Formats: sequence, C-alpha cells, structure tokens
Amino acid sequence: MALTADKVKRHTGTGLLYLVLAVISAISLLPFLWVILSSLKPHDELYSKHLTFLPHSYTLNNYTQMLERMVGFGLYYRNSVLISVGTVVLTLFVGSLAAYALARFRFRGEQALFLIFLGTMMVPGEVGLIGQYELLSSYKLLNTLTGLTLTYTAFNLALTIFVMRAVFISVPQELLDAARVDGCSWWESYWQIMIPLGASGLAAAGTLVFLSAWNEFIFALTMNNWSDEARTLPVGIQLLQGQWQHWDYGVLFSSVMLSFLPVIILFLCLQKYFMRGLTAGAVKG
Amino acid sequence: MGDLPAQSTNRKRRGWSLDSPYAFILPALVLFGMFSLYPILRSLYLSFFDYDFLRPEQMHWVGWGNYQEILRDERVTNWPGLVTPKAILPLRSLASYALGLYALVALTYLFTRRAGRAFAIALAAVVCAFLSLFCYRLLGHAAVAASLLDALRLAIWPITYPIAALWLTINSAGGAFWNTVRFTVMYVPLAIGLPLLVAVMVDKAGRLSTLFRTLNFIPVVVSVAVISIIWMWIYHPEYGVANTLLRQAGVKETYNWLSDPKLAMPGIVAMCVWHGLGFNMLLFLVGLQRISPELHEAALVDGATGWQAFRGITLPLLKPTIFLVGLLAMIGALKVFGQMFIMTGGGPGDSTLSMVLYLYNIAFRYGKFRFGYASALAWALAAFIFIVSVIAFRLSKERE
Repeated sequence: MALTADKVKRHTGTGLLYLVLAVISAISLLPFLWVILSSLKPHDELYSKHLTFLPHSYTLNNYTQMLERMVGFGLYYRNSVLISVGTVVLTLFVGSLAAYALARFRFRGEQALFLIFLGTMMVPGEVGLIGQYELLSSYKLLNTLTGLTLTYTAFNLALTIFVMRAVFISVPQELLDAARVDGCSWWESYWQIMIPLGASGLAAAGTLVFLSAWNEFIFALTMNNWSDEARTLPVGIQLLQGQWQHWDYGVLFSSVMLSFLPVIILFLCLQKYFMRGLTAGAVKG
Repeated sequence: MGDLPAQSTNRKRRGWSLDSPYAFILPALVLFGMFSLYPILRSLYLSFFDYDFLRPEQMHWVGWGNYQEILRDERVTNWPGLVTPKAILPLRSLASYALGLYALVALTYLFTRRAGRAFAIALAAVVCAFLSLFCYRLLGHAAVAASLLDALRLAIWPITYPIAALWLTINSAGGAFWNTVRFTVMYVPLAIGLPLLVAVMVDKAGRLSTLFRTLNFIPVVVSVAVISIIWMWIYHPEYGVANTLLRQAGVKETYNWLSDPKLAMPGIVAMCVWHGLGFNMLLFLVGLQRISPELHEAALVDGATGWQAFRGITLPLLKPTIFLVGLLAMIGALKVFGQMFIMTGGGPGDSTLSMVLYLYNIAFRYGKFRFGYASALAWALAAFIFIVSVIAFRLSKERE
C-alpha cells in the first residue's frame, strides 16, 4: 500500500509540475496567439467594447488591405531579407576563413589579433554609433543595403571567429597533413575539409548572425531611416505603428503577424542550431 | 615518399602569396577594423571635441569639457532624494510587515548562519519592542502603542523603513543615468529569479522538458521592435489586454500603463522580463545539466528534502551560471534603448529616458547633431558598464 501511495504522490507532483509549466508557456505564447487571432478578426469586432480572444468570425480582409495600402511593408521585408542573408553569407565566409587561420597556423601577430578581437567584443556596440554614422556618411553608404550589411558583418565577425575557431581546432591534424601530402593547397583544404567538417558549427553561427541582423534596431534606425528604399523591418514596423494606430489596428495586427511568424517558424525548424549558437554566443560574449 | 610531408610543410614562402594565413585573415581584419574598431575609436576621439555634424568647420578641442558637461547636465545626473518616510506610513499592509520580519530573519541568519537562532532573535526583538511599548503605554504614552499591530510595526520599523523607502526611491524618476540604473535594479533580480525557477521546473519535466523549453524560448527570437509594439497594445488603456483582464477581475480603475510616470518604467521592466525569460532559462538549463544528477539523488537518499538539496547542492554549483546570467542581464539593461524609444519616447516627462536614448536624441533628434557630446555620453556609459562588471567579477571571485 505504501508503494502505491508513494506513486500517487509522485504522479500528482508531476501533474502539478506540468500544469504550472503549461501556464508559464501559455504566458510566453499568448501575446503572439492574440496578435494572430486579432489579425483575422473583422474591423467591427476589433473595435468593439468587449475584447475577445477567439474571433467570432474569420476574415483575411486585414491582410489584403495591408498588402494594398501599406506600400512600405513589402520594401521593408525585402530589405531585411537581403541585409540579413547578405550578412550571414559574408560573415560566415570571412569569419570562417579567419578562424581557419587562427586555429591552424602559428604566425606573427596571432596573439595581438586575438586580443584586439576580444577587447572590441567587450566594448558595447552602441559606443561606435556616432563614429559609424560619420564613416558611412563619408563613403555615401548611409541609407544603402551595403552599408548596413557591412556594419552587421563587422559586428558579428568576432563572435563567428571565436565559435568557428573552436570548431576548427577539433578537426584532426592528420586529415590536413594527408591532404597536404596529396598536394592540396591550404585554400583547397579549407574548402574541401574544413567547411564540410565544420558545417554544423557554421549553421549554429549562421542562425545566430541571422537573428541578430534581422532583429537589430538602433543602427538600422540611425543609418537607414531616410527613405523606404533601405529601411529594415524593425524600424519600418515601428514607423507603421505610429502612422496607423489611429486608423486601423487590423492592418497593423496583420503586418506585425507577418513580421514575427517567419522567424518563429525558422526557429522551430532550426532549433538545435539556434540553441547551440546562442549558448556559445552568450558564454563567449 | 617518406620525406615529402616534411618538405611540403617546411616549404618557406617568401613575399605575398594568396595561400597563406595572412591572406585568410586579411578580409576579416579589414572589415573588422573599418566597421567595428574604427567607429569605436573615432567616437572616443570625437568625445574630446565640441562638434556639430552639420557644422564641421566649427569643430574644436574641448578636452574633458564634454565629460564635465555630463556631470552638470540635469537631464543625465538628476537624482531623486530618498523618498520621505511619510510615504510609507499609509503602507499598513500585512505584506510590508511580513517583508520586514523576513528581512530581520534573513539578516540575522546572514550574520549567524543559524536558522533557529535567527528566528529566536527576531522573535525576541518583536517581543521586547512590544513589551517596552506596553510599558510606555502604562506610563501614559498611550498614543504610541495603540494596538498590537502598531507595536509590531514600530518594532520592525528599522527594517521596513529602508526597504519601503528604497523601493519608492527606485520607483521615482530622475535623469537618464538614474533611470537607467533603476531600470537595471528592477530588471536584473527578476531576470535571474524567474528564469531560474522556470529552468528548475523544466529540468524536472522529463520527456516534456524539450517541449517546454522550446515554447518558452519563442519570444526570444522576436525583435525588440515587434515585442514593444505588441506590448503597447497590451498596455493600451481602453482596448488593451492588461486593463481588460483587470476589469474582469473587478478592478474599477483604468491604468494608463505607459503614460503614468509611476507605472511606465515597471511596465517596461515587466515586458523585458517576459522577453528575456527564455534566453536566461536556456543558460540556467545548460548550467543545470552540468550538475551530475547523482549528487542530487545522493542527498535525497540521505534524507534531505527537495528544498534542502536545491539549497545545498544545486544552488552553490549553479553560482557561475547565476553570475553569468546576472552580468549579461545587467550589461543589456544598462544599454536599454529600443523599448523606451518605441513605447514611451522617454516619457512621460523624462521618467523612462535611458542613457542610450538620451545620447541618440542628443546626436540625432534635438535639432542639432551634437556628435561630440553624444560620443562622450556613450563612452561614459561604456566606462560605467566596465567598472560595474569588474566590481562584479571581483566580488564573485572573493566569494569562492
């Protein structure tokens, strides 16, 4: 009897734990669910005195309205995609190349380089805001996709190098030696050995870089805010909120929905890499 | 064949070649130097000049002038005095008494490391205070001890007063520096405590632990801009979820969450705690997984309760993680910008003006482009962050 009583106690304990965790998870998710559901509500339901959670009737009207009337939204979206993807590709290529050099070669100035990268990571990025603005302005790179891509690449470079250096160090030296014997140049062994073996590390670093570029706010606000042509999604959505909040919340709900859903789906698909990249990033940074 | 590898690795390359470590590191170095290192150093240089970006010809050296101006600038250094004790007299709630008693016990425990003795001392303090007040009453000071509750309140007054005064002080607005500090002071304990609690539960959830981890992590991947907009709707005085829920719970008052100087900062803090929960939880989960489960089980077998095992084993072993989470949360909080920029613009008044928001406004918003002064603000903040981090590191090392 004692055993079953113990079992019952344990089961209620687990049940209670699940219940509490379910409530906490619900708190984490409900704001997003609320936005998704609200974006599907017709206009009069959104503005009724009684706030509803589940829509009484569903409509896609808000979305068609949004795509028709919010001219900037599509542009912001395109810009964010181009800048984020550009940053990921450039950072991974340049960063992994440098990581390869730092992991596999001893050369003069190696220590100094390492210290410079590390030291700059300690300084908050916001400190460079003013200098960056001046720099981009003098090269006519303000309000261009190139300018922001280069900025984000530079920001994420140090972290990528640290992550990839750790990955590359674990590649066995014998492989490289064997390739060398077969007449591979260092460049070829980078392409043919390091990149394939470091693929999962690259994916982890890549997701981290993508996230930081996609979500970045203050530099995008400062550098790319003169026209719709180069504005990114976080800055644009904030602008749209200011313009539309007195006119139509439904349209806003649908635009906000479209700006968070792809990232969440991407996260759910690439979860493993996200977690790895983020924990590595936190520990290093 | 035997000497071929040696030959190939010893092959000395003279002059420039694309197949060398220098060539591999060059692109990174150029990009990093130009777009990361240079702007930071350029900001440092500019911070010693009076420099308006639109009038470069008037740029001139002022030495430490900009830094001295920071100290004189009321919008940065305005500091609220300690809020008067009158403000806590109306706080006759049980909660404040409980908090005071708890603090007394906690302090005693801290100094004696004995739970039993701590309780005995606290109890003795309360009884003594009550007895002395009772004597006063016999001697005619009737007003002093009108009731048992008042006596109790007076007994724990030395503890409740600082706590309540501190809380009220933290909650009152000042200049940008003070607002940044009070945001950090409110945010960091919550950003450690709540995620730790959730992480311990998720860690125990067995097969479902991955699921709960994922669900709670979702807000982390969404940008500050989108989160801020969603929470502006939640805080909307008329249509917002927060007030609707309160109304359904029977609260008559309508709260203007973001336009009330008392509520705006706590409102933003609540949002940030919610937003950062998943990330800090993940760090704690990583820390928890490093602790071997045998230790915990052994303690349980030896008859420790779950709480004792947590206090005695999990918490001490988790200290490095707690430090890491606290440090990251603190650095992030001191740099807070987007939330205030989007939700309140620093208002109402200057009650949510943060350091980064102020320097952004100085550089780009107030009609002038005062790049020199803004750079000085940025570097002063960086120096403050650095100093606080170093102190935190020292303290954590001393403890061990």
